[in-house]
Parts: sequence; C-alpha cells; structure tokens
Amino acid sequence: MINVQNVSKTFNLNKQQKKELQTSASSINAVNGISFECKPGRIYSLLGPNGAGKTTTLRMIATILQTTNGDIEVCGHSVNDKPNLVRSKIGFLTGSTNLYDRLTPGEIVEYFAKLHGMDQNKYKERMDMLFTQMGVHEFSKKRIGQMSTGMKQKVSIARSMIHDPEVVIFDEPTSGLDVITANNIIELIRQCKEEGKTVIFSSHIMSEVDLLCDDLAIISKGDLIYQNTMNHFRSEFEDISLTEAFIRIVENSKSNQNV
Amino acid sequence: MNTILTVFKKEVLDTLRDRRTLLTAIVMPALLMPLLLYGISKLTSSIMEKEENKKLKIALLDAPSDFSSKLDTAKFEIIGGIDLEAGRDQILADSLDAMIGFATNYQTKIEEMKSGKVNMWFKSTNLMVKSRLSDVIEEYENKILESRITDLNLTKDAIDPINLIRYDIAPKNEQIGQMVGGFLPYIFIIFCFMGCMYPALDLITGEKERGTIETLLTVPASKFNILLGKVFTIALVGLSAALMTIFGLILAVKFLPDLPEDILEAMTNIVGIKFILMLFAMLIPLAIFFAGVISAMVVRAKSFKEAQSIVTPMSFLVIIPAVIALLPGIELDWTTVFVPILNVALATKEIVAGTIQPIHYIITVISLVILALISVGISYRQFSKEGMIL
Repeated sequence: MINVQNVSKTFNLNKQQKKELQTSASSINAVNGISFECKPGRIYSLLGPNGAGKTTTLRMIATILQTTNGDIEVCGHSVNDKPNLVRSKIGFLTGSTNLYDRLTPGEIVEYFAKLHGMDQNKYKERMDMLFTQMGVHEFSKKRIGQMSTGMKQKVSIARSMIHDPEVVIFDEPTSGLDVITANNIIELIRQCKEEGKTVIFSSHIMSEVDLLCDDLAIISKGDLIYQNTMNHFRSEFEDISLTEAFIRIVENSKSNQNV
Repeated sequence: MNTILTVFKKEVLDTLRDRRTLLTAIVMPALLMPLLLYGISKLTSSIMEKEENKKLKIALLDAPSDFSSKLDTAKFEIIGGIDLEAGRDQILADSLDAMIGFATNYQTKIEEMKSGKVNMWFKSTNLMVKSRLSDVIEEYENKILESRITDLNLTKDAIDPINLIRYDIAPKNEQIGQMVGGFLPYIFIIFCFMGCMYPALDLITGEKERGTIETLLTVPASKFNILLGKVFTIALVGLSAALMTIFGLILAVKFLPDLPEDILEAMTNIVGIKFILMLFAMLIPLAIFFAGVISAMVVRAKSFKEAQSIVTPMSFLVIIPAVIALLPGIELDWTTVFVPILNVALATKEIVAGTIQPIHYIITVISLVILALISVGISYRQFSKEGMIL
C-alpha cells in the first residue's frame, strides 16, 4: 500500500540550472501538493508529459528524494520518519539498465541481497529461482559489460526483486528497450500484481497503460490533474482513443492554468 | 558495519577488475623505483664513461713545449693555427672543446719563481671538459712545484704547513636521510594521491554517470555507511600505490645488478621493518584524507570528464608541500608538523635519518587522523545532498 498525502517537492536552483531553465527564480516546484493511494494487488499508473513530475514523485516514494511538504506512507511506514523500513519494502526499477560492468549477474544480485540484509541461504535460493525463471543462468558467469541490453534488463529485474518487495516502483520501465525486452517487463508487472504486490509505474505509452493498469493518475507541471480507475477512464472517454483522452486532459489543464 | 563491509568487498572486487586503476595503483608504482634507480645509474655511468674517453679538441696559444708534450695524444687532439678570436668562435660552435692560452711573459715569470698566467676557455655545458683540463694543468703545476722545492732545497711539508684531516661524524642514516629522504616521500605521496584519484572518480562520479547510484539509494542502508565502504576502498588503493613504491624500492635493492655502492647502501639502510611500520601509520590516515577530499570534490561532478577536470588541478596542491620538503633547512617542527602532506614528507625524511622526535611523529599521525575524519565528514555532507548525488 502506498499513501501519498499532499506531497510537494521544491528544488533549489544553482546559477547553472537557472541559466539552463532561463529563469531568475531561486527554486522550482516539481510537485505541488499531490495525493493518491495505490492498493495491493492493483497496478497504479502515473502518466504525464516529460518534466511533469512523475520521476520526482516516484523517487520520493522510493526515498531517493525527500519530500518538501506532506508525507508518503509505504506499507504503513512514513518515508520521512522510517526511510530504511520503507526501503526494505520496495523494489525500484527503471528502463535504463544501470549495472556494474565489471561484475557478473550473481555478484550484483548478491551485493543487493546483502545490502537488504538477507541471509545467505535465503538469497541464494531466491536468486536461483529468479535466474531460472528469467533464464539468467546461461549467462551468469559473463560480466555485465559483455552482455546485450536484454540480458542486462533481466539482471536488473533480478536485482530489484531479490528481496521479494511488497511494493514495486517502475519508472518508465520500458523506455528505450526493444519489444522483446519491454515484454519481459510487462510480464513482470503482471506477475507482481498476481502475487498481490502494490505496483506503481510511470509511463507515457498509452498502450502499456491500457494493457496493465487498474488505476491511473495524470500529472502535469507538478499538479495531479486527473485520477480514477482505468475502467472509469475508459467509459468517460469511450468515443476517443486513450492517447487523445490523455492529450485532452493535459491541454485542458494548461488552459485552466493560463486562465 | 555489515553495510560498510559489503560495499567495501564489492568495490574492491570491482576496482581489482579495472585495468586503469591497477596500472596506476599497482604496476606503475612498483616499476617506477627499479626503473628510476637502474635507469639513472646506468645513464649516469654511461655518460661519464663516454665523456671521460672522448678525445678533446684543444687549441693551445703560446704554450711552452714541456706542457704540449705532456698532453696524452690518445685523449687530446691539439689543433694549431688558431688565434684567440677564432678559438672562442669555434668553442661556441662546438667544433673545438677548449682553448688554453699562456701569457707571453709566462716562461719568464716561471723562471723568476713567480706566478705565470694561464687562461682557459671552455663551455660549462660540455660535461667534463673543465675538470679533465684542470687535472692536466694541476699535474703540470705540480711538476713545476716539485722542481722549485728541489731548487730551493725545501721539503714538501715546508710549503704545506697545515695538514687538514676531515672527519664526517654524521651517522650514515642521517647522511642517507639528507640524500634520498626528501625524494622518497615525494614519490609515494604523489602515487598515494594518484592511487586514490581513479577509484574515487569511478566509485563516486562513475556511479552517478552510470545511474547505479539511484538503485543503491533504495537499499535499507545509511548513506554514511555506503560512503564509508567507498572511501575505505579508495584509501586502500591509494595506500597500495604508496606501498608498491616501497616494494619497488626493495625489489630494486635486492635484484638490480650494478647499482652504485653508495645508492645500494643507502637504500638497504632505509628499507627496514621499523621504517615501513612508521610509514604505514602515517600513510593510512593520509590515504583516508585523500580519499575523503577527492570524494567530496567529485561528488558534484556529473561525468567522469568533469570530475577529472576538478581533481587534476588538485594534484598541484599535493605536489607543492612535497616539493617544499625537498628544500634545505625545512624541518619537522611545531609549525610544519600541522601542515598536511608536508608533515608526512618531513617525518619520512627524519625517520630515514633517525632524527625524528617521537612527539613530532605522534603529533603528525594524530593531526593526519583528525584531518582524515574531517575530510570524511565533509565528504558525507556532500554525499547527503540530493542535489549533489543525483
């Protein structure tokens, strides 16, 4: 369970950032007082254009960033008060296969298992199960630097799931991946739902959202401009495609802000 | 503690598989001393031998026949028919090595038992020319002196009233300390810093550049422990680089043939257990200090290239105190003992010489430990800032 309660995030800008953003403001609001709830056994999708605040929101849930205002509870623990308890409950996966090139899959997964405080027998058993399930065993002796993107993504998944997290956070998990590798991720998201985990993922690919999610929220310029169940969203915009519906909501929100 | 150990083990494994770090931290320091000692001694002896045996082209002006006949034709070629102006030009053009001109009244002065004027023109940039010709002239002068002693019915002691005998009672170690004690720390301090530099770039900035830091921050471990695991790895590589310099020195002393006797004796005296242990106690905090400072600096960099441009100028700040330690008259005292790097260089010099005061050594180690703690603290402050780390 994830409970986001009136959360805001403000970033202070240094000189270079002000120059890049062409602003004289000393800070920028990335997220403005958003609230939503993700339930176990359901997939929650966070949609929004680039720079809307999706990644910032997911990073706050994952305790990578601290909230400026408000609080987030993950499995009943506050990210501000008990960040380590929250971290023990979450798995975090992005589309970029960020791994250590000079290590083997076994070494990387073992490293993260130990950092999660798992005992040796438990992580070896789970690593074996994950490697068998994803076919990592056949290249487990190879170093990451010698692997294809697909192989690396499988290792990334194993690394994120080794401690069997209750909550899984996917930040644009299929972005930049080929169809087969992206499909592995979609299967993983489905499997997480079947196992009763709480799943939240950010995306701007409407077909993925349509395929997977139970609840969705649309975020634009840091504001939560729409949230409902996927079924309600479909019935609300049944005469147009999901992509068109998404664009209409974002455009409407921009006009309202301008007014 | 488990987190520190887990991060440390992983980073050491990762670093040991990085060829660039291995080359900088292990191979280069280990090979430098043997190559330097062997190279310098071989090069010096070969240049000296060449210069000693080179046939020098000499022009003589108004030289008495007994002087010209004394010149060994195997070592000197006498060039005739040259006047003063042409001789100077030819020396400058390197077609002549030197010119010796006797005053026109030289012979008369010698016969009158007076001093005869002899001029020598040479280029000091041509090695050995001055000393070889001075030897010849001194030998010629001694002959004249002997004949005057005989003619005047004197003894040698009569014209040499003082028999000065010099005793250098400085212990061997002190002499060695003066000779190589300053140079040695210069080498291992630089290698310790360079050894810390590459792993710091890889383990801190590299983690940001690869994007692996994001996942690392989602594990239930404190940032401080993660940073400590990294800092200890960086310090270990820096320490290894410094110790490999000493190891290279031991190898050179044990196995290199034809090392000059004085260099061999000096090095054998330096490389002892006491020296290595005392050095080790200073190098551990120094390496942690370097690791902390470099980590704090590179944590803000977004790419390896940017990190390199931040750290490279810092090498000069490390070199300057190491060079100051080489200057004569700079000693470990109540001021220099608190200056990082300089205190290590000076303490090493005095350990080699055996002149170090225990209190100075203890203060040096304590000040380094405090600096190491401060640098790790600053590094942690930087590492904790989300703007810096992401």
